[in-house]
Amino acid sequence: METLIQLVVTGVMVGSIYALVALGWTIIYKCSGVLNLAMGELTLIGAYVCLQLYLWGVPFPLAVAGTLVVGFVLGLVVERLALRPMIGQPILSIIMITVGLAFLFRALVGFIWGTDTRVFEPRVFPMDPIRLGPIVVGQVFLWSFAAALVLLVAFVAFFQYSRWGLMMQATADDEMAALSVGISARRVYALAWALAFMAAGVGGTLLGNINGLNVSVGFLGILVLPAVVLGGLNSIPGAIIGGIIIGVLQNLSGGYLDRLVPGGVKDIAPFVFMVVILMFRPYGLWGWEKIERV
Amino acid sequence: MRLLPSGTFHESYRSDHALWQWRTGFTRVALAAAAVALVGLLPSYSSGYVLGVANVLGYTILSALGVQLLIGYCGQVTLGHAAFIAVGAYGTGIGILQYGLPYPVALAVGALLAGGWSVLFGLPSARTKGFYLIMTTMAAQFVTVDFVIAQYVSQIGGVAFSLPPGTIRMGTLVVDTERETYYLMLILVALCTAGVINLFRTRIGRAWIAIRDNDVAAEALGVNIFRYKLLAFFVAGVLGGIAGGFWVSANYGLTPEDYTLAWSLWLVGVILIGGVGSVHGVFFGAAFLTVILEVLKALVFTLADAYPMLNDRFLFVKEMAFGVAIIGFLLYQPRGLAYRWQQIKTYFKLWPFGY
Repeated sequence: METLIQLVVTGVMVGSIYALVALGWTIIYKCSGVLNLAMGELTLIGAYVCLQLYLWGVPFPLAVAGTLVVGFVLGLVVERLALRPMIGQPILSIIMITVGLAFLFRALVGFIWGTDTRVFEPRVFPMDPIRLGPIVVGQVFLWSFAAALVLLVAFVAFFQYSRWGLMMQATADDEMAALSVGISARRVYALAWALAFMAAGVGGTLLGNINGLNVSVGFLGILVLPAVVLGGLNSIPGAIIGGIIIGVLQNLSGGYLDRLVPGGVKDIAPFVFMVVILMFRPYGLWGWEKIERV
Repeated sequence: MRLLPSGTFHESYRSDHALWQWRTGFTRVALAAAAVALVGLLPSYSSGYVLGVANVLGYTILSALGVQLLIGYCGQVTLGHAAFIAVGAYGTGIGILQYGLPYPVALAVGALLAGGWSVLFGLPSARTKGFYLIMTTMAAQFVTVDFVIAQYVSQIGGVAFSLPPGTIRMGTLVVDTERETYYLMLILVALCTAGVINLFRTRIGRAWIAIRDNDVAAEALGVNIFRYKLLAFFVAGVLGGIAGGFWVSANYGLTPEDYTLAWSLWLVGVILIGGVGSVHGVFFGAAFLTVILEVLKALVFTLADAYPMLNDRFLFVKEMAFGVAIIGFLLYQPRGLAYRWQQIKTYFKLWPFGY
């Protein structure tokens, strides 16, 4: 029983990081309809920028702020150069352009920072774990959870209350209507990419603090896909809940199934889960139900 | 648009669908003969390095044919084709090592296994399309390669799969040099290409193209969509299996590392750069990427003295080039090299009147 609680708690905490990245993915999909396979590489770039700033001696909160700024600018640039010319192209072309971006970014990160695992040195968060009743949680998990929560709340508040957030929601809801009331869809797309870069960068930084940072952190970008499919592609609460569920699912399957079926169950359980969802409820928990003949 | 030389016109559907739509003049025959000789005699006038590159090229072509069939002709986007190649490769390898089958039989078994496996993951295409289908094919990639093969299949008969020289045999002929692999590759590429081109001219091919262009209309015309989609997955899987089986003979070894998601994406890149929906495109795209890769290797090799770090990080240079190539082609040449080739041909056919 204690193992179960332990696994669920850590799962929720890691899941909150997935939720952050899944949120970034959903923002892009909701606003511009782009299915982004480069999400993992966005997390890589953000994480390494933050690491570099930190190693240069910038205090950690400032380094995170720097990551956010760099992510924002990069998001705008990438959207302008690669994505905007692709508006209206077939789905395969758009997916493949994000694949091209993914290869390019991962290669850049690998080329600049190498393949060795890097850690935040000196440690950002204290190493000794905290006891919460029967369960033991590393402080880094707790802090990551808190940071992810703060950012999630900030993003949701941005969408609900700010002028720009409302513009993005309007565009996602009905692009034609949004255009007719004077919302610039281009700016919305650009902003969506900028926000996604920011969310992904912080997600990558947090994950890098937990496990150390190397190119394989980019796998997060693939792991986000089951989360958003579960949540329904265009639902922001769905992405958050989906991310947390995937985190828990991953931990549970690592803890229990690994004994029955040895091997990397932990890594593929989310995908098996995803196929099952796709078979029975392809629009996820809160996605828009589109009745479509296949 | 297909431009025919003056004086060539069709009087029957048969001739309209024919592969050769022109009268064979002397020049054409001579050119074709020269090309065949050039390719067929390659081992006798070039080094082992060139043959190695040619084998990689052939492997890429064989692998990408199935992707082209699914994406370019049936409209089913797949990002997990490396999984089926892996199934074919392991099927062939196990057939040879564990059951002592002759190579052609093992290859056929591997190809059929890959086809069946592909149908299994094509089943969701009954209910899903577009993005969701992409997700299922990616799931196929992870489930097959990273789990089933990496954790279980590759443990059969020892840890490493390596085929000792002399195990790949067809009757008395043993395939164990680059030269023999090259001829094997030529035969397989020729057979598969001919098969695929002819398949596209039949009822089946037309049904696939109908599904790609408009699935609802296709169904209204009486095409059984589900069955034809599964058939497309099966044929693509078989082609992938043949590619995998061939790679066994070129590599003498098997490792799951060869069949990652990156390779699946690379294959989609091949057909994008070559041109989606064109068999020529597979050849152009494969040639483009393979040659670019070799040029980069040579470049890195010469620069390595000045910048030693380039050597360790060649993988990243390669990935960067691939990323830039895909983005560049999608932005500036979205219809691929095959379209450019078409334009060049048209130019010469119309010359000197450019209209």
